[in-house]
Amino acid sequence: MGILSILVFLPFVLAVIVLLTPNSKAHLYKWICAIGTGLHLVLTAVMTYMYYQSYAVDRLAAKTSLHTKLYLVEQWSWFKAYDIEYFIGVDGMSVAMMILTSIIIFTGVLASWNLEHRTKEFLAFLLVLVTGVFGVFVSFDLFLFFVFYEVAVLPMYLLIGVWGTGKKEYSAMKLTLMLMAGSALLLAGILAIYTEGGSFNLLELGHHKFPMEMQNWVYPFLFLGFGVLGALFPFHTWSPDGHASAPTAVSMLHAGVLMKLGGYGILRVAMYLFPEGAIQWGMTFLVLATINVVYGSFAAVKQKDLKYFTAYSSVSHCGFIIFGLATLNFVAIKGAVIQMFSHGIMTGLFFSLIGMVYGRTKTRDIPSMGGLMKVMPWLGVSFYIGGLASLGLPSLSGFVAESHIFVGGFMGNPWTSKLTMQALTALATMSIVVTAVYVLRGLAQVFQGEITNPKFELLTDATVTEKLVTGILIFTLFFVGIFPSLMIDLIEGSIWPFVNRF
Amino acid sequence: MLPEIIVIVTALTVLVLDLFVKDINKVQIALAGLLSALVSIIVLPIGGELLGGQFILSPTAFWFKIIFLLSALITISISYDSLMVKTSKIFLQSSSEFLVIMLLIICGMMYLVSSTSLISLYVSLELATIPLFALAAWHKKESKSAEAALKYLFSGALASSLLLLAFSFLYGTTGTMNLSEMAVAMTFSPLQIWAFILITMGVGFKMTMVPFHFWAADVYEGAPTALASFLSVASKAAGVAVLVIFYFHVFPDLVKSLNGFLAIIATMTMTLGNLVALTQKNIKRFMAFSSISQAGYILMGFMGVESMGLVSVLFYLIVYIFSNLVIFGVIMAVSSSTGKEEISDYKGLSISNPMLAFAMMLALFSLSGIPPLSGFLGKFFLFSVAAKQGFHWLVVVAALNSTVSLYYYLGIIKEMYINKADLSESILVSAPVKWTLSLCTVVVVALGVLPQVYDLILEGF
Repeated sequence: MGILSILVFLPFVLAVIVLLTPNSKAHLYKWICAIGTGLHLVLTAVMTYMYYQSYAVDRLAAKTSLHTKLYLVEQWSWFKAYDIEYFIGVDGMSVAMMILTSIIIFTGVLASWNLEHRTKEFLAFLLVLVTGVFGVFVSFDLFLFFVFYEVAVLPMYLLIGVWGTGKKEYSAMKLTLMLMAGSALLLAGILAIYTEGGSFNLLELGHHKFPMEMQNWVYPFLFLGFGVLGALFPFHTWSPDGHASAPTAVSMLHAGVLMKLGGYGILRVAMYLFPEGAIQWGMTFLVLATINVVYGSFAAVKQKDLKYFTAYSSVSHCGFIIFGLATLNFVAIKGAVIQMFSHGIMTGLFFSLIGMVYGRTKTRDIPSMGGLMKVMPWLGVSFYIGGLASLGLPSLSGFVAESHIFVGGFMGNPWTSKLTMQALTALATMSIVVTAVYVLRGLAQVFQGEITNPKFELLTDATVTEKLVTGILIFTLFFVGIFPSLMIDLIEGSIWPFVNRF
Repeated sequence: MLPEIIVIVTALTVLVLDLFVKDINKVQIALAGLLSALVSIIVLPIGGELLGGQFILSPTAFWFKIIFLLSALITISISYDSLMVKTSKIFLQSSSEFLVIMLLIICGMMYLVSSTSLISLYVSLELATIPLFALAAWHKKESKSAEAALKYLFSGALASSLLLLAFSFLYGTTGTMNLSEMAVAMTFSPLQIWAFILITMGVGFKMTMVPFHFWAADVYEGAPTALASFLSVASKAAGVAVLVIFYFHVFPDLVKSLNGFLAIIATMTMTLGNLVALTQKNIKRFMAFSSISQAGYILMGFMGVESMGLVSVLFYLIVYIFSNLVIFGVIMAVSSSTGKEEISDYKGLSISNPMLAFAMMLALFSLSGIPPLSGFLGKFFLFSVAAKQGFHWLVVVAALNSTVSLYYYLGIIKEMYINKADLSESILVSAPVKWTLSLCTVVVVALGVLPQVYDLILEGF
């Protein structure tokens, strides 16, 4: 068993340990989770180092390669009759996503420190979900990929349904059903790929030339199937309700990591296997993604609830990911992958802060808050940093990602008219202005001015755990923003094969 | 023929002992008998024929017998309260006879899959069907039970006569009773196509295919729960067995050319089953419609070639038995102590009986096809059979149907996990039921991850 298997199944083992811990030891299992996920973070760093060790040799070859090259591979036969394998490995993009997930789950566990209601089951479900997420990022067998994908989606129902707030049952059901309907499309697509390509192995399938007619119908199937999870317009409606109802750690994980599975899957499976389909359908999805970006940001302006506000801003930012992918341009796709990472951290920060603020004020209604900066300066400043990252301030990670996407969009691709491409990119770019409007206005309302409610005078600032959570996330935002070359170096080699295939 | 003899002897032993000994532990005897039958099937070699070629043990028969015996074993274990615990709210009067009849039905099913001619096939099918009417009417004084029995009787009789008609067509056009000779003599004459349609209809009753499903909900609701659980697995498997014999062995080429017809029945069955299940309040009726929709998925396996289709069907049946019986086990455990059968009665089960709720949740997820549980794997193989034949639209329909089914399965999980209960007194579950449920739940998970069982089935063909 290699390090990747350990990384994938460590959360699951933790979940089992937590479930077996006696109910009376409430703090014990929180510590188990915190130490376990902390260990996971360390192991992820080790894994990144190991990846770099073996990647260094292939750095130059990657640029012209047509096929993804895997590292730290583990491969065992599973269901022989169907050639299904337990086949896992990483490329640069997977490593970046693993780091993101590891950071988010560690901070997510810390952010759930004060949860009282059935904590044990909560943590167990959360960790099972994370196992699924890690699994998706490392599997290169489509069957295995799908299995992990579902494991990542389903626990969400109970996590929101049992521990959520507001109209949680409705939101949980809506989220689960929409995502499952998406998976239904995926399943049909995967079976079609298998019957045509004769394998589930993604790398082997990469050598198979799929007929044009098939690319034309399977590509949109996969794109929409993954797109539902990536909050693609008009299938994004589960996202605001889901995020608003979910408890803090779940929102963090869901907006931070799970929605990235959508973009990741589109790139990894759909665009990798069906480059011609991608070209054929490029324009359609580009337009949808533009609507995503613009609609999300305008919708966010209207929101009064902090969580809906962030959720719609997530829809807009996840739109950038899909937009970047749909441009089929190397720079933009690179930007989209950086955006996955950057938005993951940023939205994790947002939702953890909302959880902390809500835990104090007991309200998420923006107009009824005000002047909170005076009583909770740490949280206020953190919120502002997150906000600035989301409107793309240089030196924060959002800028790196979005500037790549826009530059790539303006460069365009050989198959679409440059003018249309530039017009759509310009539209998407302008949503940054709208983002500035809602972020600055919203934050000013909550944190600036005089304290509106006398009850707020007594509130306290962040505790040590909370400072640790926000500290880690803010550090990451700055780190990527100030040393973007590290991030770009990590993922660049893995993006080339996708582009070379077009 | 040893396994069949063991089952008959067990049935007679229970019957005779019950006359003379008070309070015998008949469940133990029955389980011991079934278990030794199961062992003898596994130990004895496959192949060979008896009664002048009227009885053979083909790989297909081998696996179906295992399926029948497994479902009988589990059904009887989870019905422990109904059969043995006099204080239970679902206790059955003269339960020994109930058990004996059940064993005889299993015996009929085992003969069914081994028979090589129309006559023995029909006789054993009747042995596996007629006693069920008596079981359905077990609650003599309840009108619902009588209604269930009557409805079941009528639909069963109709199904039998349709089958008889089909058999006479087949005999008339081919001139032989022997199934393998008949397969060679097939000419695709209109009468034979009619025979195909009539057999599909006749089996359709047993397998609850739409539009021959209407009896299921009333029978499941009115009949004793022990019988409902038995009907949902063993009886359905018997229907599948008849279908396997005819579709794969007697007219494989005809089925190939009429694949579209099967696809339409499959679509109707799963869609209607699912849509009606959405509105059910009673958990037994709910399970009836859920099992109707499962029949639709099973039909997809008949579209392909035998090597792939049959193996997928068998694997799915095994998975389905375990998942479905876990749910019925929980249903019986709950109604045994509370006497309640509404879905809303499961409120707060996750607080009062966390293990029961967890087992139920896993089984429900398995039925709706969520990986990594075995139900997903089963469906995946069935879907891939249809995909291999180019029926991609059917895969989409089936996968979307799974999503719809998830909605109502989640409805039960919502009751158990999310909705708060008024009182949360934990239900006492008798030890045999508890152990069976735990074991079956482990199997439901294990079958989804371990490839060995599927490989084992595949090796046989």
